[in-house]
Amino acid sequence: MTQREASVIPRESATGAIYDLGYRHYDGPRLGRREAVATLFVASLRAAFGLGRGGRSKIVPWGLSAVLLVPAAVAGAIQAIAPGAPSPFTYDNYLWNLQIVLALFVAAQAPELVSGDQRHRVLSLYFSHAMARSDYALAKLGALMAALFIVALGPLLVIFLASVLVASDVVAAFGDQLGNLPQVIGSPLLYAVPLGALGMAIAAFTPRRAYATGAIIAVFLITAAVGAILAEAGSGRISELAPLLSPFVLLDGARDWLLGASLADSPVSAAHVPLPVFGALTFALALAGTAAVNWRYRRVGA
Amino acid sequence: MPLIATHSLTKRYGTSVTALDGLTLEVEPGIIGLVGANGAGKSTLLKILLGLLEPTSGSATVMDLDVATHGPQIRQFVGYLPEHDCLPPDVSATDFVSHMGRMAGLPAAAARERTAEVLRHVGLYEERYRPIGGYSTGMKQRVKLAQAIVHDPKLLLLDEPTNGLDPAGRDEMLDLVLRTGTEFGIATVVASHLLGEIEQVCTFLLAIDAGTLMQAASIASFVQHTGTLGVEVEEGADALAARLTAAGLTTRLEGRSVLVDCPDERPYDLVRDTVDELGLALVRLEQRRHRLEDLFRTEGRADDAA
Repeated sequence: MTQREASVIPRESATGAIYDLGYRHYDGPRLGRREAVATLFVASLRAAFGLGRGGRSKIVPWGLSAVLLVPAAVAGAIQAIAPGAPSPFTYDNYLWNLQIVLALFVAAQAPELVSGDQRHRVLSLYFSHAMARSDYALAKLGALMAALFIVALGPLLVIFLASVLVASDVVAAFGDQLGNLPQVIGSPLLYAVPLGALGMAIAAFTPRRAYATGAIIAVFLITAAVGAILAEAGSGRISELAPLLSPFVLLDGARDWLLGASLADSPVSAAHVPLPVFGALTFALALAGTAAVNWRYRRVGA
Repeated sequence: MPLIATHSLTKRYGTSVTALDGLTLEVEPGIIGLVGANGAGKSTLLKILLGLLEPTSGSATVMDLDVATHGPQIRQFVGYLPEHDCLPPDVSATDFVSHMGRMAGLPAAAARERTAEVLRHVGLYEERYRPIGGYSTGMKQRVKLAQAIVHDPKLLLLDEPTNGLDPAGRDEMLDLVLRTGTEFGIATVVASHLLGEIEQVCTFLLAIDAGTLMQAASIASFVQHTGTLGVEVEEGADALAARLTAAGLTTRLEGRSVLVDCPDERPYDLVRDTVDELGLALVRLEQRRHRLEDLFRTEGRADDAA
């Protein structure tokens, strides 16, 4: 302790010192692990949208968000010009129709959140603080899921607002639309959690960003393609179960089960599988992805 | 309370590589030099103390906290500068150090304030707002030191802090380490394979080789007088050595110098007179001190230490 007290002296009697040392001891409050994890979550969520980074980091997340919003906005504009015109989009089919954009968002931003920390070995700094490895994994996972939720919620909110604002009686329309809130919030949530878990599980396994992006796109493409081919070419039970291979088919089935409204163009009905099975498999996907991310960060070298 | 204590600490990677081999040591607070050749186990020891690696067997404590059971508590008051690169290229030093401060438990406002202070302390000014990717090696090392001290740790673990620096950068970094360690009383462990660096900044020395402790002693005891007189002459060192040996002294040749064992003050006059009689040009007459290299030489490992 004497050393610590003595240390104040040279700073205050800085005769002959060329520059201010600037260093002082810190006696203020110190926060715990929970606050550190919350900080990492918020910082990662911001990073998912390129906030606080250069302009180049914003192009992909904002571009994809815009692409996801445009159809909803156009449909809303058409409603405003020609009230009563049928809209191709509902709360139920919107994310299903634009699944490719969501897949691209996961493929681009999951590696953005985690690859750099492995590649540039920032992990050894994170793990040399009080934070546990699982804390890091969960903060990153949560940030990606939250980013996906925000991105998916946006267009549904646009549809919601358009439906309310184009109505002749805005107040009554608002009351009508409130009944749709479970779909407006539920669908994005249902898409965000399993997609985030799947994307992060792949991204966490490589420090190379390009590999991670490629692998995530490949998983979405290959599962969808194999599922579709087997559904067509396979026989009997195989062709019925084949659609379950695609994550997006699982998500749509789970949405159908929890929030209602079957889609005409979705393979869910063709699968001849009870809807709760889609729900269970979606849940299992989210759980398995989370477990894989945790497993990876328990072992990764720091 | 010892700062760091280890008992039979062993770490094996796989079955063939043994990084630490039954290392037992105990050190008191101060600036501690951890010296050894590349691969001697320095980084492994630091990582075990941080809880980043699990020892294969044995135990270690930091300030009486067991690394196996109290990792999070230990890490809260430790600052770590890794040997390797650990900085993201796309964020500024200010943002990064402040983020790391918050990871270490500082509230947002305190993290910002201390970031400004420690970046000034390490000598980063206007450039701290630019992305780290564009920094020189010297600036990156400073950022690494800044993130290690931003939360005012009680113990600093510095793994090769002068890695990749030019001689001027080396001196500046060592000066920073010395100032941080002495003026602010932060116990510091500096791992290095360069003995000269350790000599400049440390109060206590741990020499490890092949995962075992070779020496543990204060720097003062290493650099005390050895009772050896060094006589450097322009030429004719051989003749001088021969004459002194004939006169009953123990001598050894080292380049242009003759090293004479001086158990007492008797040989001084003899050396002076002999040099005069031979008509040699005397360049230097000095009392030799132990040098850190001797540590390794006595163990017959001078090659590793160089």
